[in-house]
Amino acid sequence: MSGFSFASRFAFLAAAWVLPELPARAEPVPQPVQDILYRICSECHDADSEKGGVNLDQVTIAWDDAAAVDQWYRAYKVLEHGHMPPPDKPQPTADDKKALLAFLDENLRKHTPIGGTLPRRLNRLEYRNTIRTTFRMDEFELPAGFPKDNREHGFDTVSEALVLSPPLLAAYQEVAGQIADELFPPPRALPASTVRKAGVEDLVLSFSAATIHGDALRLACGSTDSIMRSSTWPSKIEITTSGTYRVTVDASTFRPRDDKSLTLEVRAREVAASDRSGTKSFRLLGEFEVTSESPGTFTFDAELYEGQTLLLRWANAELTHDPAVLTALLEHRFREDQRFLAAWQEMLFPAPNRRASVTSLRGRNGWEIYRRHYDNPDLNLTEATMESKRTRQILAMTRDDGTARNLGDTFAYEYHEFGPALEIHGLSVEGPFALVDGPKDKRRAGIREYSFTARNEGESDADYARRGTRGFLMRLFRRPVDEATVSAYVQMAQEHWSTGHSFDEGMHLIVRQALISPRFLYRETSPGPLDQHDLASRIAYFLTRYPPTSQLVLLARAGKLNDPAVLRSEIERLIPTSPSAPMIQDFTGQWLHTRLLPEIMPDASFDFTAEEVELAGIEAERFFAKMIEENRPMKDWIAPDFLLTSRRFAEENYEYPPRGKSLAGASVTYQNDHMKIERLRIDPAGRYGGLLGLSGTMMATANGVDTQPVLRGVWVLENILGMPPPPVPQNVPALTPDTQGTTTPRELLAAHTKAADCASCHRHIDPIGFALEKFDPVGRWRENWPGVDVPIDSSGVLPDGTRIEGYLDFKKWLVANIDLVSECLAEKLMIYGTGRVPSYAEQVEIQAIVERITDDGGGFRDLLIALIESETFRTR
Amino acid sequence: MEAKAPSLFQSRIDRRLFLRSTVATIALPSLEAFAEEKAHLDPKTARNFVAIGAYLGWHQNAFFPKETGAAYTMPRTLAPITAHRDQFTIFSGLDHRAPNGHEAWINFLSGKSPGSYSLDQQIADQIGGNSRFASIELATGVGEGAKTMSFTKQGVGLPTIMRPSVLYKQLFISKADRERAEYLLRSGKSSLDSVLEDAKRFQASLPQRDREKLDEFFDSFRAVEKRMDRQLATLDEPVPGTDYRLPAYDPITPNLQMEAGSIMYDLMVLALDSGSTRVLSLFLDGLGQVFAIEGEILKAGYHALSHHGNDPEMIADLVAIERAHIECFAGFLRQLSEKKNPEGKSLLDDTVILLGTGMGDASRHSNANLPTLVAGGGFKHGQHLAIDPKKPDAPLLGDLYLTLMERLGIEQENFSNASRNLNQLFS
Repeated sequence: MSGFSFASRFAFLAAAWVLPELPARAEPVPQPVQDILYRICSECHDADSEKGGVNLDQVTIAWDDAAAVDQWYRAYKVLEHGHMPPPDKPQPTADDKKALLAFLDENLRKHTPIGGTLPRRLNRLEYRNTIRTTFRMDEFELPAGFPKDNREHGFDTVSEALVLSPPLLAAYQEVAGQIADELFPPPRALPASTVRKAGVEDLVLSFSAATIHGDALRLACGSTDSIMRSSTWPSKIEITTSGTYRVTVDASTFRPRDDKSLTLEVRAREVAASDRSGTKSFRLLGEFEVTSESPGTFTFDAELYEGQTLLLRWANAELTHDPAVLTALLEHRFREDQRFLAAWQEMLFPAPNRRASVTSLRGRNGWEIYRRHYDNPDLNLTEATMESKRTRQILAMTRDDGTARNLGDTFAYEYHEFGPALEIHGLSVEGPFALVDGPKDKRRAGIREYSFTARNEGESDADYARRGTRGFLMRLFRRPVDEATVSAYVQMAQEHWSTGHSFDEGMHLIVRQALISPRFLYRETSPGPLDQHDLASRIAYFLTRYPPTSQLVLLARAGKLNDPAVLRSEIERLIPTSPSAPMIQDFTGQWLHTRLLPEIMPDASFDFTAEEVELAGIEAERFFAKMIEENRPMKDWIAPDFLLTSRRFAEENYEYPPRGKSLAGASVTYQNDHMKIERLRIDPAGRYGGLLGLSGTMMATANGVDTQPVLRGVWVLENILGMPPPPVPQNVPALTPDTQGTTTPRELLAAHTKAADCASCHRHIDPIGFALEKFDPVGRWRENWPGVDVPIDSSGVLPDGTRIEGYLDFKKWLVANIDLVSECLAEKLMIYGTGRVPSYAEQVEIQAIVERITDDGGGFRDLLIALIESETFRTR
Repeated sequence: MEAKAPSLFQSRIDRRLFLRSTVATIALPSLEAFAEEKAHLDPKTARNFVAIGAYLGWHQNAFFPKETGAAYTMPRTLAPITAHRDQFTIFSGLDHRAPNGHEAWINFLSGKSPGSYSLDQQIADQIGGNSRFASIELATGVGEGAKTMSFTKQGVGLPTIMRPSVLYKQLFISKADRERAEYLLRSGKSSLDSVLEDAKRFQASLPQRDREKLDEFFDSFRAVEKRMDRQLATLDEPVPGTDYRLPAYDPITPNLQMEAGSIMYDLMVLALDSGSTRVLSLFLDGLGQVFAIEGEILKAGYHALSHHGNDPEMIADLVAIERAHIECFAGFLRQLSEKKNPEGKSLLDDTVILLGTGMGDASRHSNANLPTLVAGGGFKHGQHLAIDPKKPDAPLLGDLYLTLMERLGIEQENFSNASRNLNQLFS
């Protein structure tokens, strides 16, 4: 599993911060510390052995050398977590360990910095969102093939990993060209006017809206809900230039009732629009009264826009697919003509106890069946009364929306054949006579004005370009821009103008080039404590995944983010609480690995649908959102008293009592067509709920077929406990374990990890993996190992020596040690938010924040706010 | 569910924005584009892959022959390709064991897990790299423009081209497009120095470590500058020419689906023959459009007909539509078989064509027993291979896909839930 890296905090430290470049100055190691190091480390880590490239047998330490600090930091962590010394080597006494850790702690605090993020390239999501916001292109998507970002320390927001490669810059350049084309499109020329004609055969027939009779197309329905059931349009005419046109339609009436005039409605339809669109979503061009049974010509001038054609509808047709209208019309016909009623009965009830499928009666098929019965001299009329059961059944059917749509399609043929209907004989569109701005042009003008403001009365090209570009660059670069920078861009345009190019071409060039500037592509560039603008960016991208909103920008420009009260209120305003918030989806997917779910299709034996896999991911997002929204205590990450899932999913996967026996307090919080997500009460000490009792996390840490205790163990150490095991040593000897007589995964694994080199980490990994072993690959509880059918042994000893019998004990242990979980989550949020792994000194600050929140009885929301307000967060 | 669906372009405007950008890319073909050309001499490999999928399925009784083996009677739907009988094989009894329903239609190329890494993209990632276009995704009859059957490794649905004019523009760059591309390159290059200068001033304002980080930008910048030089040079190189002429309008509305289909097939032949791409997919959508087939207006719209409820007259009309699709397909097979490379191998033998669907029975929204046909690719064809899906060891559609990939020179052990192949039955 490639996404499951052993990325740990150990690798990053080398060169992770800015230090004054002074010659390394070594400080002596106190003699007692030297003695301890000699006793417990030097067998493997002295100048001779240097196992793993580590030499701890030192009399001095150069604390201003990043590599040395990194080495001692790692030494601190492996000692603290008990990964070293290996179990088969002499162990330090408690006092030795304490003294050594204290020495290292004191020096690491002193010698590790606050800050150290490099300029951060916008990642894919941030870049896309920034384009969307900066240019008000809400639906902008990255082009297919846009390069992927690297993930480091579990996240794709880490500055060091966000490299800029040639293909990526080429992709930025491509997008820059697209956007410049939107803002300053090439000028349009008025093409020669042409006449486009559409005969009857060029008009669209859709469902039962229209039929062709000789040289006429008949329209019968007036429905407004979707054009495909009422209208027709010439699909071979598509306007390519927005302009003014002359439209001609030939139409006549067909057997109008009481010589009433029929209203022909002409609208402008986008050729590429969905046929399901309602008629009213298209612009009305004109309405015409058609009064004659011989064809008349209706001519008018209209603006038509690029991509459009005409749409024709009979606006005042009596027949629509509205259930009430259809029912009334049918009832009227039933009363008027007994044969009609009898034939409809035969069509819908072909045998005494059989109702025909309404869907297959749609359109002409049903009408022809009806017609055969109608014309049958032996048609049985005895049942054909208004009081008969079948008549009532038919009229009940037509009162249903879906059935009314189908039977309306059938009934329409009656009108097509016998009228009344509106006949179209052909149409033509001549033009364009003049160019006009279509919606696309207007939208572009809007984006242009939003980016560069409008030109002032009498303002020269150069003045407007300078004024507009200044504002544009400030928004694009997310900070004030000096005049030299503005001039650099304006000059590009001026030089372009001087070689005979237009104003717009010069501006097009500015947009293209500014969008590949590092000032746009990188954020957080003020060293040390973040300045107001970088702070605004960091907060906004962290909490919303979008660039700062104008309110935040204005506060930053006014220097008000230094005011703690202002900062607090901005954080509170931006903090996400909706499960669909981009930050929540993005962060949970990466932290909990649930982003991997779409790639894990559980084995067929689990009977898990793609929809359920999706729901498993959504559960994690909802859980995270709820933790923020309700400021839940941190222990709820492990042992909450609620589930957020659908009842059905809970019954099938979480042993939730079936409906009727439910615990009190369930309330609906979310609903859609397929499944509704509810808040379900559960026993906080039970098997389900919390990060580990979620289908999504147990699925993401398995492979859809088997569970892998080591993967789950590592995942928990890394993402829940913050004690990532060191990377697997590169010189792991080839394993030749004796696996004879092993029957369970547990015995098999034990055989593999008996070697001392392996055991120093596996003794921490494996017990946690086995504690979770009773969750199958989709997170359902099981008692036996599949295949061998042997009861699962979930017992083990945790890193601190605590003995557990299984998952429920582990859960208790986690709740008792909840600060570990809090610190781990806090660190993940900081990596994600600041783009770097916290240094030792920063971890000290984070630890203090976690302790404070615990002491104050605070919740997750409090923690999140405190992290953002920390010095660590506010420093680059 | 909330929108986890493939993130396609949500509106027409943005789709166009994308399309234009693709055109711009095409106007700047890479140097390698035309270099890679040397027919494979190994008769057991094929160069190209084409997948064709029908949204409303293929009516089983008119697609599957009654008899198995070589002596089958040509089923109604496939009658138009009778002349190519020896060039295709019909498969019944294969599917992905995927869930049912319209939403899972995309299991067609994705396998058991709808919307995952699709066959065409797996192939394109392996063999598409040296062509001008790694793959091209097309569609006809699309009313809403939100559907696709091609998904990247990350599960991103690829947008389809539904306008023949757009595909045409991509394949055969017009003079105007070429001039525009040249203008953009020249003007862009002329001011790169200013961009660079400003970037340097920016870099100079940063501390040492940040400056080193920014070196990535400058390295990339130089590479992009060189790329622009190459693109300018290739603008003078010949692009495949054609005397093929499109109609004055784009047949993009659903009712013009057959017209769009035959044009798309024509352009697909040109794309393969010119080596512009090696991987194509064509999605045949279905909505309520009422077709007139051979002058006869059908009884109901395409979608309504697919819910035939076993009404024989509805089925007859549905089959008429599907047959019309196959009629278009026949033109594709004919043209491919007529094009020969210098070694005398036909383009059809060099192209593995998969025609199928993700819908087994549209009337019931069942995704079992997917009608499937394989043409070309130099396989031994001419029969109906009936698989009994009830047998415990029954092969899956993915096993056939593994065989198809192998023919394209791709050795792969798994496709979705399948891990064997059909080589024993079909080679």
